[in-house]
Amino acid sequence: MKKPRPWLAPAATLVIAVAMWFYPDLVDAAGWPIFYLLFAYTVFFWTAQASSWNLFTGFSGYFSFGQGAFYGVGVYTVGVMVVKRGWPLLPTFLVGGILAAALGLSIGLVVFRLRRLRGEIFALMTLAVAFVLGAVARISSTIDGGQGIPLSSVPTPEALGTHPQMIFRLGLITAVLAVVVAQVVQHSRLGWGLFSIRDDEDVAETLGVPTFRFKMIALGLTGFLAGLSGAVHALQVSYVTIEEVFNIRVPLMVILMSILGGTRHWMGPVLGALVVHTMSDRLNRAGLEAVSDIIVGALLILMIVAMKEGLYLRMRQRPLITAIGAAVGVAGGFVLGPLDSAVTHLGYTLLGAVLGAMIPVGSRRQRPERGAPAAQAIEEVVGG
Amino acid sequence: MSLWAQSIVSGLLSGGLYAMMSLGMSLSWGVLKIINLAHFSFILFSGYITYQLAFSYGWDPFLAIVVCVPVFALAGMALQWVFDKLRISEFESLLLTFGLFIIFESVTSAIWTADFRRMDTVQNPYQSQSVWLGDLALPVPQLAAFLVALVIALGTRYLMDRTDFGRAVRALSQDRDIARAFGIDPHRVAMQLAGLAAGFAAIAGVFVAMSRALFPGLAVEWFGIVFSVVILGGLGSTLGTLIAAAIVGVVGGIATVIGGPPLAPLAIFLVLIATLLFRPQGIMGRSAT
Repeated sequence: MKKPRPWLAPAATLVIAVAMWFYPDLVDAAGWPIFYLLFAYTVFFWTAQASSWNLFTGFSGYFSFGQGAFYGVGVYTVGVMVVKRGWPLLPTFLVGGILAAALGLSIGLVVFRLRRLRGEIFALMTLAVAFVLGAVARISSTIDGGQGIPLSSVPTPEALGTHPQMIFRLGLITAVLAVVVAQVVQHSRLGWGLFSIRDDEDVAETLGVPTFRFKMIALGLTGFLAGLSGAVHALQVSYVTIEEVFNIRVPLMVILMSILGGTRHWMGPVLGALVVHTMSDRLNRAGLEAVSDIIVGALLILMIVAMKEGLYLRMRQRPLITAIGAAVGVAGGFVLGPLDSAVTHLGYTLLGAVLGAMIPVGSRRQRPERGAPAAQAIEEVVGG
Repeated sequence: MSLWAQSIVSGLLSGGLYAMMSLGMSLSWGVLKIINLAHFSFILFSGYITYQLAFSYGWDPFLAIVVCVPVFALAGMALQWVFDKLRISEFESLLLTFGLFIIFESVTSAIWTADFRRMDTVQNPYQSQSVWLGDLALPVPQLAAFLVALVIALGTRYLMDRTDFGRAVRALSQDRDIARAFGIDPHRVAMQLAGLAAGFAAIAGVFVAMSRALFPGLAVEWFGIVFSVVILGGLGSTLGTLIAAAIVGVVGGIATVIGGPPLAPLAIFLVLIATLLFRPQGIMGRSAT
């Protein structure tokens, strides 16, 4: 048994983040296409969204479809406050996060008081909230009024470089914040409490876990991080409309990313965001948008049916075959080439690694442990 | 005055369609413990088939019921068979059918494109007809949907209360193991019930196609209304679903008069919140024991 070192992951994340801070300068100096920055930003955006979703849903087991609402509150806060009211940008980011957190807390306040069907009603409630917010935004002309808000005129901070450099750096900060919060929570009392709620809430409550408080804290954090990331994303979209914000797309993507990567570990959503965004970006580039949704749906079903633990744990369990898969992916990329960009290469590598991890052979988990024939026999009798 | 009466009556009539859309969902969730988002896809798909039959072959929209019900009942049974084989939990069913829902949505846009599709007055003569009750107009598609919903709901209630099938269903929803000990085959009953629920979805789809234009994103818009009706009515309660659908329809109708169409979802949502706060088991649901 290794000694737990809870500070290790956040420290490593921060070191990597500091190194990545200078990546835009490298892109600039090497003359690489700006697309690399925007691609990286989108991965950061989804990492922040998926990590924030997983912080509550993955850890506590309460299923949320409300990511679109939190994200939308963030986007619209910037749209309304900065564009229409002329607020300064950076404090508005925080306001967006706080408003989204308040939304999360008010949903929790209504639903967590129920005794029965808390989980199911929470899920459907979060599904409904996005549509209700859409309706509110449509009615109220101070928010949107059905016209949409142009966001291209938002003044951006000069200190962070050109627009792509700035959006990259803001995305990096948000993603790192979300990931570090998830890491800290996972190794804290809060995290253990959430895991116990996920396993059996009634037992957890009997054992003295303050379930209501823990759920509210986690949901508030989820809302804050998602709203913050949404507010930053407002700088990336040039025009915001109700239909594009309060729809099913954001929740679908974060659910898929987290489930694909694995919901029991902070690394799951990060890996999922990288894999899913790279794949869908390449599919869209190849003109296969129509197929990409079908693949998303099928992948979700496949994960639920066959691989509940998610890619990250699976890969950690079978590092060798994952590495082989990645190597095959790299080689396949060269053979199949023309490799127009490094992103395509990344896509092949990830695809190889994912398929390697998914191959249903040689899983250590399924092999019976040696020296435990009695337990095995009992399991056979009881299980049969 | 007449405007108010008209909006209440229209709301009540749209409640018929809501009831039809929600009944199968309520049975599936309350008894089978499957939160079936594919139910919405079934409704929409059935609507598109109705449209296509009328468009290509000149079928009367009502006739489409004969095709859609068996097709979707079989689809629902097949889906339930898979769920049983996989032994999925309630939450997994939500996720799994979410995946199915997304696939269905892209298939729908691939076949029928993202454009609005609506039967014209030749294919669907009913959409411009109304029955007049004094100076209140009752549009024929909505009126028919309401009457059919009434028949379906009362029929389902009879089925649940008075037949062996209904007794088996109730036994299963109360205690699966004891029911098995008395010789009830849970898989068979579950498949029959799933077929029934999907059949209701198919009928709802036919009426949707009759009363409005179809587009692939339409199914998402029903989420809020149907789940409000299901929770408001109490899971698995037939009569509760009917009453809740009427309430939701009337509230939506009145809200539309007061503040225009965008206010309707907000008003319905507030009713839902109030229900969750003060009567979480729904109108007709039994309280927690």
